[in-house]
Amino acid sequence: MADKVRFGFLGVAHFHSESYGRAIKQLPNGEVVAVYEDDEKLGREYAQKFNIEYCKSPDELLKRDDIDAVVITSENAKHHDLAVKAAEAGKHILCEKPIAITLKQADDMVRRAEKAGVKFQTCFVMRYHSTSILVKNLIEDGTVGKILALVGTNKLNSSLPLLRDWFTQPELSGGGAVMDHTVHLADLIRWYTGSEAAEVYTEIGRNVNPKIKVEDNFLTTIRMENGVIGHIDGSWSYASGLYTWGDVTLEVLGTEGVIFLDAFRQNVYYVGMESPNDKLTWHYYGCDPDLEMVKSFIECILEDKEPVATGFDGRQGVAITLASYESAKLGKPVRPR
Amino acid sequence: MDKLGVAVLGYGFMGTTHLSAWKYIEECEVKAVMGRTLEKVKKVAEKFGVDAYNNFEDLLRRDDIDIIDICTPTSTHARYAIASMEAGKHVFSEKPIALSLKDADAMIESAKRNKVKFMVGHVLRFFPEYMKIKELVDQGMIGEPVIARTFRGGPIPEWSPWFLDKSQSGGVAVDLAIHDVDFLMWIFNQRVERVYAKVERLIHKDITAEDYALITIRFEKGGIALVEASWALPKKFPFTMRFEVDGTKGMIVSDNQSTVPVKLITNETTAGFAPETLPWRPAVHPFPVDPFYRELKHFVECIREDKTPMTSGEVARKSLEVCLAALRSAELNAPVKLPLKEG
Repeated sequence: MADKVRFGFLGVAHFHSESYGRAIKQLPNGEVVAVYEDDEKLGREYAQKFNIEYCKSPDELLKRDDIDAVVITSENAKHHDLAVKAAEAGKHILCEKPIAITLKQADDMVRRAEKAGVKFQTCFVMRYHSTSILVKNLIEDGTVGKILALVGTNKLNSSLPLLRDWFTQPELSGGGAVMDHTVHLADLIRWYTGSEAAEVYTEIGRNVNPKIKVEDNFLTTIRMENGVIGHIDGSWSYASGLYTWGDVTLEVLGTEGVIFLDAFRQNVYYVGMESPNDKLTWHYYGCDPDLEMVKSFIECILEDKEPVATGFDGRQGVAITLASYESAKLGKPVRPR
Repeated sequence: MDKLGVAVLGYGFMGTTHLSAWKYIEECEVKAVMGRTLEKVKKVAEKFGVDAYNNFEDLLRRDDIDIIDICTPTSTHARYAIASMEAGKHVFSEKPIALSLKDADAMIESAKRNKVKFMVGHVLRFFPEYMKIKELVDQGMIGEPVIARTFRGGPIPEWSPWFLDKSQSGGVAVDLAIHDVDFLMWIFNQRVERVYAKVERLIHKDITAEDYALITIRFEKGGIALVEASWALPKKFPFTMRFEVDGTKGMIVSDNQSTVPVKLITNETTAGFAPETLPWRPAVHPFPVDPFYRELKHFVECIREDKTPMTSGEVARKSLEVCLAALRSAELNAPVKLPLKEG
């Protein structure tokens, strides 16, 4: 049995390609070998930074036999084609969320990976974050009794989506904040309740940032099959001067008590005195969920285990996201398909 | 100038809070307190040095009373308010104004016809942190408000059983959520277009009032807000109010649990206090910043200077309409457009 997993990156348009690359390099049983990216300049920069090879096409990368698995961190709209190629080439797949921008794409990706017998893991990093795992354990221990309601935020500093243009180009991203920031909380709610979404209702507000051409804020109410109610606020609406990038918070209300999760709350505060504008910033010292997620993926490959966040989980995230858009459009609750 | 005579109806938590606050308003003198059980009212009356009543009609006949302050269950507001107005008294009523728009309209109409002042106790507007939020928004610090979320919650108010009876309090969506609904409408300064809500009895199945509400509000210019109101929290949960608003130029966050200036920890208990909301204690309580003092003071000013109260009947009707729309939405599982048609 191999003792190491060698990775190729298919697309590095998403910021997370950086932290996933760094995470793999930190692990003794992981290695980053090559990268392909449509934007050659971006791809070559990435190759240089990680001291790896740049491949001129996905096929060139995929035909290499020194690559066991791929990380797909391209623009959302390109995930499907890259994943299908990777599956056909027999490579395991770690795919950024949302895994696709249509359900047809998502279903096809998951089915093809299954057929090819490769692992498909969705980058639902919150399933690997020690704080959200702690909450999962508290729930399973019955600490708060039966779960009744889950209300969360996964809000983002409004300056961040503009750092990479494609996030705000629907043909590449599939949408705005709803597409980008529904899935983490939707997945936590599914994970914590063990139930699927029966219905979602979404209100999309006028934009906080008029420079962004897609929606940058929304409020989604969810009802799960088992009756639990939930709420998701994944707006990109935090002011750009905020002392941090954003948050993942969740209130877990049960029959016996309540848990408040603030997953990225472990920070020291820094304030400079170089200029009058030096403001408060947060510096995080908590769990690195990207590292834990990659570690787990490597383990799944080496020990032939099922990923914690599967392709199906990724698919369900897409279904909830698309139902949210439909609900906002129709002005009524919609059942995810 | 003669002091204005005040009678307080009800001697529960809010009644006694008001009785304490009135003592510091020098333009006024509390003359009487009314409650159902004469023995109990007498005790409260004695403490505050006022007369005790258990009959509203007797109380109303006194001509040295100018202001009726209604701190009884919400379902009784309209009856007491209208009778008081017809008798020429100014009326301060606790929030919510009433449990139906029909009652609210009758109260508003009676105040107008009898030319008396009418104010509803949306006291949040007088809390120092909320006053600061309003001030910053009005200064344009966040540009146009776009998306907001509020949380208000604590344990079920068992100490006052009428809250648990939906026919008296309206449940959590009406009684508790209305604070944030009123404040949001004040901040956004826009008409509410539609409301979608989940309103449930999550923990307390043996009462008629709902204990949990998630209300999504859409304003006419496209702003949106989530109001979460909960009586479904554990018994030791500290009463919490959080407010966050993101606008086109900035954001504001307020959280009463993270701004506690005085914490008390003993072997038996952990508690946090702010001077403005300390259980009444004359030696340390700075009354000029007490929110209940402030709202009553504002009301007296409106009477003295013939001004319209900030939270008039008309204003209070608006937040009631949104809360009633939330109840309707939860029943129908569909968004409900305003104006709300009752029936």
